[in-house]
Amino acid sequence: MTTPLSFDDNRPSGGQDYSYSAPPPSGGSGRMPLFIVLAGALFGALFSAISTSDFISHLDRQVHSIHCSFIPGAAAEIGESGCRTVMMSPYSSMFRDSLWGGMPIALLAVAVYAYLVMHAGRLLLANKPITKHDSLYLVAAALLPALMTVIYAYIAIVEIGAVCKLCVGVYVSSGAVLVGAVLAHVNAAPAPSSQLPMGQFGRQFGEGVLYVAVLAIFYALFAPTSPKSTQGCGTLVKKDDGSGIFIPMGNGKGTSAVAVVDPLCPACKGFDDRMRASGFYKKLALQSVLFPLDSACNWMVKDSLHPGACAVSEAMLCDREGAEAILDYAFANQENLRALAKKDRDSGQQNDPKLRALLEDKFPKVKGCLGSAKIKNQVNKSLKWAVSNALPVLTPQLFIGDKRVCDEDTDLGLEYTIAKMLEGGGASSGGKRR
Amino acid sequence: MQDIKGLGLFVACLAVPLVFVVMSERSAAARMTEASDAASEVPIASAAEDAYCTIGLKQVVRRVAGACGLLESGARGCKPTDAKSVASLTGDDFNALFKPLQNRAHIIQYDKDNVVLDDGGMKEVEESWAEKRGASFYFVVARASTDGDAAYNTDLSQQRAQAVYNHLQSKFTGDDDLKKVGLLWLGEEYAQLGQDFCNWSRSRDGVECTDKDINRSAFVAWIDCAI
Repeated sequence: MTTPLSFDDNRPSGGQDYSYSAPPPSGGSGRMPLFIVLAGALFGALFSAISTSDFISHLDRQVHSIHCSFIPGAAAEIGESGCRTVMMSPYSSMFRDSLWGGMPIALLAVAVYAYLVMHAGRLLLANKPITKHDSLYLVAAALLPALMTVIYAYIAIVEIGAVCKLCVGVYVSSGAVLVGAVLAHVNAAPAPSSQLPMGQFGRQFGEGVLYVAVLAIFYALFAPTSPKSTQGCGTLVKKDDGSGIFIPMGNGKGTSAVAVVDPLCPACKGFDDRMRASGFYKKLALQSVLFPLDSACNWMVKDSLHPGACAVSEAMLCDREGAEAILDYAFANQENLRALAKKDRDSGQQNDPKLRALLEDKFPKVKGCLGSAKIKNQVNKSLKWAVSNALPVLTPQLFIGDKRVCDEDTDLGLEYTIAKMLEGGGASSGGKRR
Repeated sequence: MQDIKGLGLFVACLAVPLVFVVMSERSAAARMTEASDAASEVPIASAAEDAYCTIGLKQVVRRVAGACGLLESGARGCKPTDAKSVASLTGDDFNALFKPLQNRAHIIQYDKDNVVLDDGGMKEVEESWAEKRGASFYFVVARASTDGDAAYNTDLSQQRAQAVYNHLQSKFTGDDDLKKVGLLWLGEEYAQLGQDFCNWSRSRDGVECTDKDINRSAFVAWIDCAI
């Protein structure tokens, strides 16, 4: 007798001659491949559970340290790391438009590895040798995480350009599971029949689907929600651009939106990456307002958080048509540009001459304009726009129409928040840009 | 027995991650509620308010801004006879209010009996305008030396102040901040600059600077006071 939850060895029963002879009981080294599968799945579950835990901890909309080590349980780290870059990337979760932060891929990995633990455990508990049919299913099941490993390793290296150590732990675990499954298949007893037991496979596959579905449904049901994500955190008082300081970005079509950015701020770079990857970049008539957190031009900061940001802002305002290219260059070379300005300032040189020379060299159109009273005045207007709207002194900030996206919604929850604001008419007051 | 073990394993392997996920999410929800009640510590963008913004300076700036708006003629500024009443201070005390602005102010110098800005003067005016940062008010205080009669010098200093304003208007056409310019002309009657002001940033840096030279001038500065 079999129950839907029991391990079915699929041995033939009455009426037909399958020439089946029971294989000898197998133990010791014959079960070793199953132990490899079990151990790999356990480690995979552990690594992906830690990764899921890090992701879930961010659902409180705060900044947290995250675990980034090959050793499960090693201390969490605050600050930038490959793990944080990967987690904040759009590839770390799915359904981001409908769930704040989306459904973490790591959660699905937990479900798959938990299922593999259960499956391998049940094969071991059965206390009888596994057949080629059993092992064939095991290999097929092990191929799923192995395939995901190949896909996600490619994305991490090629698309994101950062590798997370926890993910590497998961990749190695999936490799171990696959190796164990293949070894189990090689050592498995002959199949009781040449016909594949599709019913058994289907039932086992259904169990796996159930694992994934239950975890995903409960995750979605218990995910914290906040009305602030749709209501926003304030509105623009003076949204008009009376001084010509707004810089158009993207294709300029869609709902009007304003991003307050500092070209040398790492968080702005991350924000820009997320915006572009989200697909909303093409759906918004996005304009940038420059808010350099550099005391060379910004009186609101005592120390320059991003030295050189004033000069880069000037360059962007000098060449408004090429501003997006200048911003892309600044984002790509933030560390170098900040270091260049800092070097100038440390040696007592005012006005960042080396940085300005570099910008003039890279973008000849800004020559003669960079550093002029007129353009400094424009940067000042940009800062004054922030004053007249009583904005917090931080970057990045995003406004959909005239609604301000809460700061905590500009990373993991960006797609969800924009989608909800657009659905809820957040942009209605902003209208379309002509 | 085997079935029960299998069922137990099935349930356990599902229940453990499920409980872990739900508990983690509930904990995040509790933290989110707690954090949303806390006040934000991020400062808000605001106009500059520097340490030199004494009550006396603010008073002068407020009075100039209030009493010395657009004149009937369409020009800006105060009538010179009002200067003393606007400041309610002795000339030395008036000048002392501006001493802390040494790194912020520029002195635009003119030739004798002349109200035309030279190249150096224009450059100095533009540079000073570009240094507005978070300031709320731009002050132009023009003077004349004691050569000639008082009425002539009053007129001369008015034209000097106006020359600065006109240059700003032509160079920064349409700039809303032009509304923040306050002109004050003192002629030779009030608050003459001492020679120590020769060490300030002047449009004729490096050129000889006498008592008379420094007063054939317009003193320009953005004032970092939230008025």
